[in-house]
Parts: sequence; C-alpha cells; structure tokens
Amino acid sequence: MNILKKALGFRDDVDAVRSAKGENLSTWYYLLHKKQAVVGIAIIAMFLVWSTVEGIMQLLGGYARDPSLGWLLLPHNPISSPSLTTSLLPPSLRYPMGTNFEGQDIFSRLLYAAPKDAFAAFVVVLSAVALGSILGIVAGYYGGWMDEILMRITDAFLAFPGLVLAIALSVLIGPGFSSVLIALTVIWWPVYARLFRGQTLTLKYRGFVEISRLFGVSEAKVLFRHIFMNALDPVIAYMALDFGTVILTYSTLAFLGIGIQPPYPEWGSMASNGLSFFPSAWWYTFFPSLTILLVVIGFILFGDSFQDVISGRVID
Amino acid sequence: MKAVESNFLFFLIRRVVNAFITLILLILIVFVLIHVILPTPQAMAKVYIGGAHYTTAALNAVIARYGLDQPLYVQFMSYVYNALTGNFGMDSLYRVPEMQLLDKFIPITLEFVLIATVLQVFLGVLTGGLAAMWRGGVPDWVIKALYLVAWAAPVFLLATLMQFVFAYDLKVLPALNLANPTLTPPKAITGYPLIDAALSGDWPYFDSVLKHMVLPVFSIAIAGFGLTTRMMRSSSVEVFDKDYVKLAYMKGMSNRRVLFGTVFRNAMIPIITLTAIQFGFAVAGAVVIEDVFLYKGMGFFLYQSVTNLDYVAILSTTIIIGISVIVANFVADLLYAVVDPRVRLE
Repeated sequence: MNILKKALGFRDDVDAVRSAKGENLSTWYYLLHKKQAVVGIAIIAMFLVWSTVEGIMQLLGGYARDPSLGWLLLPHNPISSPSLTTSLLPPSLRYPMGTNFEGQDIFSRLLYAAPKDAFAAFVVVLSAVALGSILGIVAGYYGGWMDEILMRITDAFLAFPGLVLAIALSVLIGPGFSSVLIALTVIWWPVYARLFRGQTLTLKYRGFVEISRLFGVSEAKVLFRHIFMNALDPVIAYMALDFGTVILTYSTLAFLGIGIQPPYPEWGSMASNGLSFFPSAWWYTFFPSLTILLVVIGFILFGDSFQDVISGRVID
Repeated sequence: MKAVESNFLFFLIRRVVNAFITLILLILIVFVLIHVILPTPQAMAKVYIGGAHYTTAALNAVIARYGLDQPLYVQFMSYVYNALTGNFGMDSLYRVPEMQLLDKFIPITLEFVLIATVLQVFLGVLTGGLAAMWRGGVPDWVIKALYLVAWAAPVFLLATLMQFVFAYDLKVLPALNLANPTLTPPKAITGYPLIDAALSGDWPYFDSVLKHMVLPVFSIAIAGFGLTTRMMRSSSVEVFDKDYVKLAYMKGMSNRRVLFGTVFRNAMIPIITLTAIQFGFAVAGAVVIEDVFLYKGMGFFLYQSVTNLDYVAILSTTIIIGISVIVANFVADLLYAVVDPRVRLE
C-alpha cells in the first residue's frame, strides 16, 4: 500500500513541505495556474454540470411519470423503439455520433447515461471514504490488537483484485445498479483505510492533538476535528484520481454485462455492444469509448496536479 | 553477521504468518459472502444442485451430504480445509470437480499474465528512467501524455484497437484464440501451453501460441505500465538528489555510469513491491482481455461463469486469484528484503 501511495506521488509530510517553502497561498491558486489542472477542471466541470442538469431532468421525469422529460434537452430520444431505417447510420449533422444497431442516436444516449456514471463515482468514492476513514482512524489511533485485526482484514480485501471481487459480488447480490454500487464500495474502502491509518499515525503525536487531549476535549471531537479533517488533504488528491477509476471500473463491469438495465444506456455496455459492428460501424464503439477516456483523463489530470500542488512540487 | 541472519529468519517467519492469516481471512470473506447471500441450508443446496428443478428429498440429500446444516464454524473449518487442499466441490454446470476445470485454465492465464507483467515493468522502468533523465524536457512530457492516455483508456478499448490494427487491418498477428485451432495441442505435461509445446518439441504449436499471445500481453502491459513509469520517474528523481550520486559525479564517473550504475539501480528497488500490485491488476485485467481475444484462460472462464450464474466457479476463481496475489505480494516482500536489508529491521 505504501508503495502504491509512493507510486502515485503521495507524501505524508505535506504541511512540513509547504511551511518550509513559506507558501501560504491556497491550493486552488496554484491549481488554476497549471495548464494541466485547468484542462482537467474544465472536463470535470462540463461532466458534472451536465450530469446534474440531466440527472434532475430524469428525476423530474420519474416523479411526473413522464420519462420523456429525461430527454427534453437531448436532440433525440435515447431509448426510442428500434427502427431499421435509422440503423447504424454514420455520423452526420443529424446524428453527430451516428446511430446504433437499434437506430438510436449515440450522442443522445451518451448524454443520457452521464448522470449514472457521475452518481456511481460519487456514491462509491464517498462511501469508501466514510468506511475507510472510520476503520483507518480507529486502527491508527488506538493501535494494538485493534490495529492488527483491522489491518489484516484490510490486507485480505486488498489481496483481491478489485474487478474480480466486484464481479463475484455483483453476481451474488443480484442484477441491478445498486448491487454494482455495493460491490464497488466493498472493493474500494480498503485503500482509504490504509491512507487514513497512515495519516493518523503521523498526526496522533502532533502537538495540537496532544494538547486537545490534555484539555479534555472529547475523543470523538479529537478524532473528527483534528485527525479526520487534517488527514483529508492527501486523501482528496487520491479521491480525484479515484472518481476516474470508479468510472473506468464501472464501465468495465458494464462492458462485461454486469449491472446494466436495458434499454437504458450505459457507456461501457454501449462500447461493448458496438464491438460486434467494429470496424464497419466504427462510431458505435468509438464514441462511447472516447467519452469514457476523456472523462477519466479529466479526473486524472486534476488529481495529478492536485497531488503536485499539495506535495510542494508546484514548478510548472 | 549472525544477528543479521536471525533477523532475516524472524522477518521470514513473520511474513509467512502474515500471508497465511491474510489467506484465511480471504477465504473467510468469501465464506461470509456466500452465507449472507444464501442464508439457509436449502438455498445453498439449490445452488449445489444447479438446475431449477429439484425435489425436497434431493435438497435434503445434498444438505446431508455436504453438511450444510452444521454449525457455521464447523462448515468454515471444512471450507478452509477444502479450499487449501484444492477441493472446491463440483461445478454445477459442467458436473466435474471444479479443480479439474481450474487446473486447465489457471496455467494459461498465469503464463501470459506473468509475461505481461515482466513487459510492463520493462516498459515502465524504461520510460520512467528516460523521463527522469530529461525531466522537465520534451521526452518527459511526451512520456507523461502517453501513459496518462494509456492509464485512462478502458482496457477493452486498448485491446479492441490493437486487435483491429494488428490483426484485422495489417493482418500480422492472429486475432482470437490460444493457438491455431487446426493444430493439435501437445500432451499436457505442465499445463502451460508454451512449456508443454517446448517439452514435446512441437515447434509449430509453440510458434502459434507465441503469436497468439502477443496482442493480449501487450494490451495488459500498455494498460498498466503508467504506474511503474511514475514510480520509476519519481524514485529516480529522488535518487538524483542523494549525496552518493553527487559523490559519484565528483569522482569523475561518466554520466552513463552514474545513471546506470547508481541512479537506476537504486531507483528500481521500490519497483519490486509495485510489481506485485501490478500483477494483481494484470490478473483482473485478464478477465476483459481474455474476453476480447477469446483467450480461453481463467478470466474467460470467470466471464462465462458470470453469464451462466455458476456460483461455485465464480467463488473458486475468486479465491484462486486472491491466493495468487497473496503469493505475489509475499515473494515481492522477500525480494525487497533481500535487495534492501533495512526493510528487515522494520
């Protein structure tokens, strides 16, 4: 785990590095002065804003019992009934990314599926952080046998290649979106438990923690205010990278046919379905794959620069 | 000297115990999963029977036969014993012992994943070293752009593109399968297709296996080398700032000797542990890769079991893959301790 952290460029002594350099400007100041970060932020912002708008439209459609509200903003109906006349049309002005075998507009389907990926990424990463922070902080703060037991369990989970455990879990829990979310959370928390434990170990003997304890601040408050909040900085950088990885894993699962609900589109399953028509109808698999690639790159660019900034490597 | 040796022995014992505990916990996790999802003996028995049609008598017979109504800790003990002795029960679909199926598939996956891991490390060390040499320069940026794209690309996209370009368009490499299906495979000696072909002197088959392996191996290696590149680059940069490197330059050693003799040699130490993690990623990636290339190994088998809802197969494959990752981590720990004696004292 430590080696993974190092490979991704993490440092535990973030504050020390920063204050030694006399830098007091905010993290965002540096981020907005890095080209790489700006590109990443732009991609993420587009993805998130669109996902929120479209997600709200779909929710409204659900409440109003009128699903067509969900594609009010889209050029075409993404789940229109199969039509032979529009089947597998190449990209054109009318269909900017072509149509699929069922004659549906791929561009509309990609946009329609976006909120789901954003939602999956947020739910999985935030649940993993919640679970991982509790277990990691408890293990690091109390130490002893508690630490031993929790870390052995964490190691056992880390020994499973994530994708394989996610496949097994989502098949066992049953088909559906929520089982994929549960499966992904189960494989995602151990990394955060490790990260938080490492942070807790360095923080727990710091002056402000010891003084708070001396003054009789309640344990829960020390754990949350002083340890959790201070451990968060490097974790945020890792989270940014992880949003991308969750989307990647989620679409890989969909590619394998796990967790999809036809006729609703999903990026990974669109790419997978398109493979049977590759290369003659190249657009069918190309555009969904490209979308995944772009969004993931956005998160990686942002996470990467965020790490550079908080670990004091701001030279650009 | 004696103290160092006893330290190493102590380290070894501790690592063996740790690996064993992790292994038992891994089996426990799978065991808990099964029992959360299939809480009653009847539900379990239905999975063992496999089909949708069964009688109560048949259910009870299965429950009695496999001891499904025994207390959980008794069931767990026998589950651990069976898993460690390679007895994963009968496959509900193929009606043969699970291990017989896995025996066939494991070596195929292990073979190409190991080769892919080696290639991945090679690519990562090479690009990471180059990026560190020219840090801040054009090669550094090009390498970073390359691995970021490779990292963010879905594995299936990489695999399909390679398949399209090299197999369907340029027609230089085969697109699907383990080997040319018109050739008769040599007698299984070790189970590893390459070794078997070499042992029985069947060179045309060896050649075919090798050619069919190229695309899957490169797909995995390209999808995963970025992490090694980053590691190699950052640890080389770190070593560059060390006093012993400055000393080497001061002694008048040539740039090349400093780079290869001092910087890269020291920078490569952390790569060992990373490689074990990369191996785990590669095994997981194999599920997708084997599906794209119809490379019939463990990943392909797992994918088939998912579509057929073959629970026994899914769980046994999961355990086997978990075990292989634990073993890889253990080996990496040992190698690390051999290369860097400071680790033993931790």
